[in-house]
Amino acid sequence: MRHLTIYALRFLLYILLAAPPLLFAAYAFSTRWFFPAPFPAEWTTAAFARVLRDSRTLSSAAQGLGIALTVSLLSLILALPAARVLGLRKFRGRQTAWLLLFLPTVVPPLAIGMGLNILFLRLGLAGTLTGVTLAHLLPTLPYTIFTLAGSFARFDENYEFQALALGANPFQIFLHITLRMLAPSLLTAALFAFLISWSQYLLTLLIGGGQVLTLPLLLFSAASGGNPSSIAALSLLFIAPPVLVIALTARALSQHGNEIREQY
Amino acid sequence: MRSHPLFAPWFSLAPALTIVMVLLGASLWYAVAESLGVIGAIGQNQPSFSAYRAAFLPASEFWLSLTFSLWVSLAATILSAAGALILAVWLSERNSGGFALHWNLAFPHLVWSVVLLLILSQSGLFSRWAAALGLISTPAEFPVLVRDRFGIGILLSYIGKEIPFLTITILSVLRSQPVGYDVVAENLGASRWQRLRYITLPQVMPALLAGSLLVFGFIFSSYEVPALLGVGYPRALPVLALRYFLDPDLRLRPTGMVISLVITAVTLVVAVASLRMGEK
Amino acid sequence: MKRFVFLLVVLTMLLAACAPSVATSQPAATNPPVAGEFDINNWDSVLAAAKGQTVNWYIWGGSDSINAYVDNFYGKALKERYDITLNRVPIADTADAVNQVLSEKQAGKEVGAVDLIWINGENFFTLKQASLLYPDWAQKLPNSALVNWDNPAINLDFGHPVDNLESPWSSAQFQFVYDSARIKADELPRSYAALKDWACANPGRFTYVDPTGSGGFLGARFIKGALYELSGGAEQWQKFDQSVWDKHAPALWAYLNELEPCLWRGGETYPKDESELVTLFANSEVDFSMTHDITGAGRWIADGRMPATARAFVFDKFMIGDFNYVAIPLNAPNKAAALVLANLLLDPEFQAAQILPENGFGLGYAIDVTRVTDAAALTALEAAATKLGDSATAAADLARSLVGDSAAEYQPIIKDGWAGNVLQK
Repeated sequence: MRHLTIYALRFLLYILLAAPPLLFAAYAFSTRWFFPAPFPAEWTTAAFARVLRDSRTLSSAAQGLGIALTVSLLSLILALPAARVLGLRKFRGRQTAWLLLFLPTVVPPLAIGMGLNILFLRLGLAGTLTGVTLAHLLPTLPYTIFTLAGSFARFDENYEFQALALGANPFQIFLHITLRMLAPSLLTAALFAFLISWSQYLLTLLIGGGQVLTLPLLLFSAASGGNPSSIAALSLLFIAPPVLVIALTARALSQHGNEIREQY
Repeated sequence: MRSHPLFAPWFSLAPALTIVMVLLGASLWYAVAESLGVIGAIGQNQPSFSAYRAAFLPASEFWLSLTFSLWVSLAATILSAAGALILAVWLSERNSGGFALHWNLAFPHLVWSVVLLLILSQSGLFSRWAAALGLISTPAEFPVLVRDRFGIGILLSYIGKEIPFLTITILSVLRSQPVGYDVVAENLGASRWQRLRYITLPQVMPALLAGSLLVFGFIFSSYEVPALLGVGYPRALPVLALRYFLDPDLRLRPTGMVISLVITAVTLVVAVASLRMGEK
Repeated sequence: MKRFVFLLVVLTMLLAACAPSVATSQPAATNPPVAGEFDINNWDSVLAAAKGQTVNWYIWGGSDSINAYVDNFYGKALKERYDITLNRVPIADTADAVNQVLSEKQAGKEVGAVDLIWINGENFFTLKQASLLYPDWAQKLPNSALVNWDNPAINLDFGHPVDNLESPWSSAQFQFVYDSARIKADELPRSYAALKDWACANPGRFTYVDPTGSGGFLGARFIKGALYELSGGAEQWQKFDQSVWDKHAPALWAYLNELEPCLWRGGETYPKDESELVTLFANSEVDFSMTHDITGAGRWIADGRMPATARAFVFDKFMIGDFNYVAIPLNAPNKAAALVLANLLLDPEFQAAQILPENGFGLGYAIDVTRVTDAAALTALEAAATKLGDSATAAADLARSLVGDSAAEYQPIIKDGWAGNVLQK
């Protein structure tokens, strides 16, 4: 009996977890679904097809994907050396460095975006992919650095020394020892840098100035009063990467989840 | 080169630090400069505090928005913290729920707000089901839960996202504590409530407070949720700031900057408090 | 140190790797300004200069069906006939495009991002005042001969002379929408006074669009119509006169405040834009919607957003109608392509297409059909006018109630006044 209750609860939980995508699917694949009909009466792929046919949708998805991939790669490259010294070395000013890197997680994107708006306009970076990518680094870098620094703190440098003693060159050591030992947290850091960038709304809006469009921008403008079918279809596209990522990394997250900050 | 023991740490930090400091420094510098009217729209050269005066006028919408934002942030933070505490204690006795808690991350705030809009509006999904069950006959009979004057929809949106976040924070503390105290107390005859009050709470309090402060700062400064789930008046502070900043009347931009700086100042103070808490 | 240099190199390489995709997203930046490469009086030189260009059209993007219409009709035709790529930049508010042009001016950008803006009213007035519009072109388009430039509704935009700075695209007239399955036609209010009685007899069943926000166009129209009725005429509002406003404003705010408690949610909040009002209407939260489409509710029915029983109707008087335009910023990078597009908008073939409800645009003609000499085109235009669908308002009713919009200066006054006197009360 007790088993049954637990299974029932578990089943209920899974329904609840699946509810948002199901809700979006119901709205995205139906039309003329008005109050008071409790369920969609007319099923159609027309609305979803129209959203996909809109050249803006796919180019926004592609642009968002390109930005997020670049941002997560750049974050890793920039974070690796910083995280290494923060995790492994004691030095004067270490505390200050921590604090400075912590700052972007608490200064609101609103203030950052509004402030960078004019600077980037003068530099010709406003409205460009480069500008938006640079701006996205601010929220992703701290997160990547903290995640990797946590791993470096548990990292045993003796493996590197041994490899050096055995005649490996620095590049081989980096590739075969350092990267390999850090692989799980590198992956986590990269994935979440990707997600933070992928779902970034304000910085993209303020730096992209309407010329760099990503899915959150399209979704936001649809959601402020648009067609429920289009909103739902855009939502489905927008959550596809996060849902995939979380489903694949749920296990690893139990270790790193705490470091995920709120920007995402 | 990686294993060189004498390598100066600052060279390794330089690329990341440079980017963070240049972008952050520049954005704050330009924000202050534009709030003083030195650069940007108006383009005068004499700094002036007129935007500050305009923003802080007694009749300005700023004060109402400030009150609204404080109410929403405080209420959402307290409710999330309380909910998270209960959930964490319940889950800690069971050692499950990890996947469900993290699943929440798959739905960014923006998406979660869209979900609430679709199900909670007066003619949304729940209202339709209520009508099908004969509980209501017109949409107007369904309670106003989103785009309402008191920010209930905004509260619900944040609570749904922040409870899992804070629960994870508390759980990680609880699971890293030795079980000894709890068992001893139980053997000595402490009640469930006494154990919670005298053993569990003191253990998780610093982490919970630090996390709650971060949550408060985040809610106070974020734009999307109140913009989507709020009403036209009163507006949350970030919504007001961006509205001014993007207004075609360029003279309003400095005022938007002033409000954004106020928001930044509040979140920085809260963050410092959070850091202090976390260190304890 | 070596490592730092290495990182910088990698960083630069990555940034450089982004560059080509930046260029595709913003072709504007790669093309030098082409002014001087064509002569506006020689249309062939315009076509030649436009070949291969990308035209960045900043256009209100709040309607899925309009977006699709623009891409499917103009986007295709530009590519196939003129080798021009259409980059439709959807914006939430035309003011955003104005803002973009103003910001570029501030930053001293010689080459802007915007080639063409769908515009009228106060946004046109702002750019005209700032001298940021490409001058002296509208009447030089070949299809401009089809436009009746002597019509004050065309050569004045919200009371301000168009001065050859913008070219018309379509016409619109304010109308209401009701559901014939819910209300009988003879029960409909036909004046603002009757509307208030109706609303207070059916509390919570009416609302109008918030005029202050980015989607506030229809709301402002609704309020101006009330102003016309309360002040007893439309003519006095064509020229800006503060004293006239001061005289009649109290009656307007009194009317709207008396209406407020009878509104949806007691007037504590208002729908932000037309689309939100449509959702409220379709879900029976309110009984009326608003539109400015010549096809009435046709576009919304075709879109699955309204029930098929939705119909448009007008009051007996004071339904504001006007023309809307496209303008080219002074620093537009692809002026030739923008000119070709502006000319294409006036082409009889596309004018006939734009009014059909199934095509998704739904606004009226900008050209004067009697000026069309080509027999086939004329037939197409006349045939299209008979296919507006059941939900359109009869042409005679539209014509009888038609009045012009008020001077552009009233727009901000009405918005701010409404926020202070109605919303925040």
